[in-house]
Amino acid sequence: MTELATLARPYAEAAFKSAKQAANTGEWSDSLKFLAAAMQAPELIAIVDNPRVSRVRTSELLLDISQDHVIDAAKNLVKLLVENDKLKLLSAISTMYEQLKADDEGYVNVDLVSAYTLTKSEQGKYVTMLEKLLNKKVNANVTVDKSLIGGIVAKAGDKVIDGSISGQLHQLAKRL
Amino acid sequence: MQLNPSEISDLIKKKIENFDAPLEARTEGTVVSVTDGIVRVHGLSEAMQGEMLEFPGGSYGMALNLERDSVGVVMLGAYQHISEGDTVKCTGRILEVPVGEALLGRVVDALGNPIDGKGPIDTALRSPIEKIAPGVIARQSVDQPVQIGLKAIDSMIPVGRGQRELIIGDRQTGKTAIAIDAIINQKGTGIKCIYVAIGQKRSSIANVVRKLEEHGAMEHTIIVVASASESAALQFIAPYTGCSMGEYFRDKGEDALIIYDDLTKQAWAYRQISLLLRRPPGREAYPGDVFYIHSRLLERASRINAAEVEKLTGGKVKGKTGSLTALPIIETQGGDVSAFVPTNVISITDGQIFLETGLFNSGIRPAVNAGLSVSRVGGAAQTKAVKKLGGGIRLDLAQFRELAAFAQFASDLDESTRKQIERGQRVTELMKQNQYAPMSVAEMSVSLYAANAGFLDTLEVKKVRDFEAALLSFMKAEEAALMAKINEKGDYNDEIQKGIHGAIERFVKTSSW
Repeated sequence: MTELATLARPYAEAAFKSAKQAANTGEWSDSLKFLAAAMQAPELIAIVDNPRVSRVRTSELLLDISQDHVIDAAKNLVKLLVENDKLKLLSAISTMYEQLKADDEGYVNVDLVSAYTLTKSEQGKYVTMLEKLLNKKVNANVTVDKSLIGGIVAKAGDKVIDGSISGQLHQLAKRL
Repeated sequence: MQLNPSEISDLIKKKIENFDAPLEARTEGTVVSVTDGIVRVHGLSEAMQGEMLEFPGGSYGMALNLERDSVGVVMLGAYQHISEGDTVKCTGRILEVPVGEALLGRVVDALGNPIDGKGPIDTALRSPIEKIAPGVIARQSVDQPVQIGLKAIDSMIPVGRGQRELIIGDRQTGKTAIAIDAIINQKGTGIKCIYVAIGQKRSSIANVVRKLEEHGAMEHTIIVVASASESAALQFIAPYTGCSMGEYFRDKGEDALIIYDDLTKQAWAYRQISLLLRRPPGREAYPGDVFYIHSRLLERASRINAAEVEKLTGGKVKGKTGSLTALPIIETQGGDVSAFVPTNVISITDGQIFLETGLFNSGIRPAVNAGLSVSRVGGAAQTKAVKKLGGGIRLDLAQFRELAAFAQFASDLDESTRKQIERGQRVTELMKQNQYAPMSVAEMSVSLYAANAGFLDTLEVKKVRDFEAALLSFMKAEEAALMAKINEKGDYNDEIQKGIHGAIERFVKTSSW
């Protein structure tokens, strides 16, 4: 079973390359986000899944919805996806595109989870520390989770930096 | 030994005070699917091949399939509590097991955890299960014997230290029996034994442990168990676990013997894992690398030279070579040695001991087919005594086999043919041996000498074994010094030959069998 990510990758890379060439990465990003959101709608999913609705009809429908929200190049992508029966990949394509854009622009999205709400200065301190560790600009997305008891957990893609008390207790339990 | 309650809490308090938890940086992934012991994990981009991955609930798995965006993991142990969305962590360690002298006398599972109820294993050394075999320069050729203790094997198909000798046969032909006798006979020789039980019934394994304990063989033996009810992953890695434990002794300049019982079941387990991991099946549905799983296992059984031992021990052990001898066991179906896995392993090992059902049923036990069995190390791995006397045996049996068809016409044959047939029948009878009764070099030499010198020719075939038993107890009682001399170095010279000849003549005169 190939992962969605693997299937989405060629499309995302192609979209990003063409975006860089045309220098409209931001607009591409918005278009893809819109399309990904649209694909979440149950009605749309039903239509895509319905074998009695022809491909032409599906693509017409999508393009109708997109109107001005989606740039022309992205509309071509939609047509291509309809042809290859890969419309369901749109949200994966959007996520991967964001990842590529972030890598290219030298910043990384980090999920910062803390046990208590952080003040602006504390947040700033953590962000600086993470930027030094990861060697990239950090776009922090802060949430609060009481179950950490104390400290923070920073997640960047696969990597997790665990400075929380619950994490330390876990390590202690393993050691004992 | 019991710790009293205050001691326990003191230990814990000390551990807590000395606990230094640095900021933990790890890679995490999420479980996508769990089926039949195989877990697909999304993420984990930094997982290594064969790395141990930690699952919630303290379960561990081994990363086997590294794909672009996901990792295929085989679970080592219980996996029923794992569900989709669970977090998986990398441990950064390739699968490793405890090794060391503390394991001798213990029964452990495929991960090195003790299962004999005798408490935890007190060793700090750990070794990865997958290691690269010694290189060409590090090796030394095999010239020291491993005494299996069975006449049929030590005389005609001798095994040397560092050799791989395959024991192959149908079910119930005595493959495990040979292995157990070999282990029992290593008592006092300084060879450490490892018995790896793969896919066997726990009752059989319990029997083996009991038998070894009865014969005092457990103290130099490690038993690694991956029984039939354990997961395929554990059955797959158990031989590698045992091999790592054996390599510990080899790398220290000592000798070890490892028995894989049996590799057929390990191949089945690996086939199961590979098919579940969606690797493409090949011949007989085995994956493409079924040869490699056995070749890399058996290449690690070798003899390494003194220079290599010195290097591996950091200069502590000088002038000693180390060896790991492997006796893999393969079970054939219907005597078909040309099936896939048997031919693979035959081409890897340095010879095979071929056991046949027909011979077993006609009472020849061990049911060794001397014609088809071979040891590619041969005479280089025999003591002088057995080498000299064993040659005659092999010749007698070979000639007997040629003439076997004529055995029915006994009375119509010429003298020399009849003599050869009769000699062959007596030697065949002599090669039979009871289970759990391995013989020393001296006993074997005396037996073989008696056959070569013609002392058996005048006996009835069915009296041969009684004669042998009585002769050996006579030698034990009257000629203990001579026996000890032969056992010392396996020497054989005119003096010893005269000694044996004289002793047997004296015994024959007593006519006490």
